[in-house]
Amino acid sequence: MAGLELLSDQGFRIDGRRSHELRKIQCRLGVFKQADGSAYIEQGNTKVLAAVYGPHEVKGSRAKMLQDKVLVNCQYSMATFSTGERKRRPRGDRKSTEMTMHLKQTFDAAIITNLYPRSQIDIYVEVLQSDGGNYCASVNAATLALIDAGIPLKDYVCACSAGFVNDTPIVDISYLEESGGGPELIVTILPKSEQIVFLEQNSRLHEDNLSKVLDVASKGCKDIYAILDRAVRDHVSKVSNVANTTE
Amino acid sequence: MADVNYSEAEKTFILHGIQDKFPCREDGRGCEDYRHMEIETGVVSNTSGSARLRLANTDILVGVKAELGVPSPEKPDSGCIEFFVDCSANATPEFEGRGGEELATEISTVLSRCYDNSGCLDLKSLCIIPKQQCWILYIDVLLLECGGNLFDAASIGVKAALYNTRIPNVTVNQEDDEMEIELSDDPYDVNRLDISSSPCIVTLSKIGHYHVVDASQKEEACCLARLMMGVTAKGTISALKKEGWGSLNPESIFDMMETGKKIGQVLNTSLLNVLEEEEKSGNKRKTVGFLK
Amino acid sequence: MATVDIRFVGARGKKDNIETVEEIQNLVTPGDIITTDTGFMRGHGTFMENEKLHASVAGVVERVNKLICVKPLKTRYNGEIGDVVIGRIIEVCQRRWKVETHSKLNSVLMLSSVNLPGGELRRRSEEDEKLMRHYLKEGDLISAEVQNIMGDGCLSLHTRSLKYGKLGQGTLLSISPSLIKRRKTHFHNLPCGASIILGNNGYVWISPNVNEETDNTGGYEQNLEPVPNDVRIVVARLRNSILALADHHMIIYDTSIMYAYEASLLFTVKDMLKPEVTSEIIDLIQQRMELEGT
Repeated sequence: MAGLELLSDQGFRIDGRRSHELRKIQCRLGVFKQADGSAYIEQGNTKVLAAVYGPHEVKGSRAKMLQDKVLVNCQYSMATFSTGERKRRPRGDRKSTEMTMHLKQTFDAAIITNLYPRSQIDIYVEVLQSDGGNYCASVNAATLALIDAGIPLKDYVCACSAGFVNDTPIVDISYLEESGGGPELIVTILPKSEQIVFLEQNSRLHEDNLSKVLDVASKGCKDIYAILDRAVRDHVSKVSNVANTTE
Repeated sequence: MADVNYSEAEKTFILHGIQDKFPCREDGRGCEDYRHMEIETGVVSNTSGSARLRLANTDILVGVKAELGVPSPEKPDSGCIEFFVDCSANATPEFEGRGGEELATEISTVLSRCYDNSGCLDLKSLCIIPKQQCWILYIDVLLLECGGNLFDAASIGVKAALYNTRIPNVTVNQEDDEMEIELSDDPYDVNRLDISSSPCIVTLSKIGHYHVVDASQKEEACCLARLMMGVTAKGTISALKKEGWGSLNPESIFDMMETGKKIGQVLNTSLLNVLEEEEKSGNKRKTVGFLK
Repeated sequence: MATVDIRFVGARGKKDNIETVEEIQNLVTPGDIITTDTGFMRGHGTFMENEKLHASVAGVVERVNKLICVKPLKTRYNGEIGDVVIGRIIEVCQRRWKVETHSKLNSVLMLSSVNLPGGELRRRSEEDEKLMRHYLKEGDLISAEVQNIMGDGCLSLHTRSLKYGKLGQGTLLSISPSLIKRRKTHFHNLPCGASIILGNNGYVWISPNVNEETDNTGGYEQNLEPVPNDVRIVVARLRNSILALADHHMIIYDTSIMYAYEASLLFTVKDMLKPEVTSEIIDLIQQRMELEGT
């Protein structure tokens, strides 16, 4: 990346954004008919599909069944053509397993689990194109898919990443900015209550700067929440309008 | 391919429908009709070529990546193609983890067998320096939703993705005994592949005494045996595979082959027409992907 | 003649409703506060936190006297006593069958809740247990009524009436349960020559006409004779009509199905698989509904 400045003197990043601007987000609910809920999200060049099945009877080993709450089962998988360099295996490697576990923890906190004892909810995420912020896009897509499936949630779950370059926190970092070697902070919050569900930070960041970067990331999450909420409202209105005319 | 058991009565209903003088399948199609298909190329940007196919409920995404590599010692002057199929858990919870591996290997073996023919794809054009460097095409098929007839859909997706593939032009500079390869950076200085003789798989399912094309999931559960054939636009068969636990009469096989050839030709020509039409609309069209 | 209908996405002349989507009233999304008034009872789709009532799903708020609930667009079937459901047997257990009804948990059909062949009324013996598989085995479809809901949400079904029981020849469709309107009767014999059962759980069963007196035997005698071609075409047309209605999120009940069937007579059954044809049919239905004021 020689010669590529992550943040120019005028305050522009490589893709022309300013430090506080998110990438363009486009999303759609109800992509597949067979899944109970599905959603597709595009954050810049990162494209993620999520599908939710459930709640349904626990498949596989009955031992995993929880008597008082629902079992949340996740899988994070990347298409082999999603990255610049072709990936040999879509899932099963350490990174995917780690992401799977993080997703499970996140949604265990957000879904109202005691409503479905002895059932199972499956959340499957497939990354079609990866350009940084995979985990964040996955969380956002999974939230939309859960809402599409009608599964009760305490609140939306929004995730955003942030970095720190030239003493400026930058929000929603792309793949080039990630590989630039600077610190990366991923935060997942429940926007209404502003509670942090998941927090991860890579590389080195001085603790004085931590609160600045955290603030920027949280603000990014709230902006994403506004966009997702708008998309959900539009979708519900559009579908209900058709249904209402036939009532 | 959900393992739903269907009742005897349902299967009988489908069976009788096909044996009728005027065959009427569950959704009103005849024995040789395909369901509605929609295709779009160029959906994934960091690939050399991609395509998305929707055949009723079946949803397939194909990505082609071209990488430089060493040719195989048996064929030093041609490039290689490698197929990889991934059954995403999005399609059904049974594909979670390694659940879909069996199906995936089946599909990729059939695809490689179809393309194993030198007449299908001109692999010699992929060679850069004989014995040293060639292009290797990695064709990755991602199964997003299963609605029956996966093999046909996968092959149509692959053909469309190959049509959409753009391989950068390579100049070989020879200095003394060293050969240097230079990849062109110009996005318009590319080579395309000639897919006019690439095959499409046509699956014929034998239900009762007759055979149908493009079986839905229910029909697949009723069929005793299937014949998969790779058919090119000219009607030549590049591969043949019989699957299923039932047995087939040699006459039935010949009948099915004739039908398959006829249908394969129609399929190939329609596909090529659509791909050319899509390309002609050029920059005016916006990539829709999954957004609509 | 083989027909291959393939087209590229850009050719889709769909008038992508550019009409600005007017937001419907009482729309809430997860986390929204519905009310701070503590006098209300909370129903489905809501939860209480810090003395405030929040919504947990995205949908429309419904208020019946003091009960507030949020009805989501799509959800798994939530059973209610007295509902008619269609299910598929997935397991034969001791003294019961496990039935899959597209709900949160698999439903249960007890041996004591089915009619014995011949309509006898007696206690079920061990012999009956051994003959369970002769009556219903894995993969069979049944129509039943919800008798009871257990503590964890599992439904207990019964087929104690002659109109319920094992289903014979026909086609099963799976659509979202929220599209099925709750009516007095869910068994309809349509004038076009087929009969349908609209299960509250989203499963719709279309079959050739059922003759009331002779065929209502509770499913013990199955008619496996070939169905005549014209009836078959009617069944296929109904299937495509119902799928068209479901795709466009229209509520499904006998009147809307008949409108769809009549509107579709303009096209061949095969053509109904194309999206532009279904859009046209839906337009015709909506016009007719406005005219007739249903």
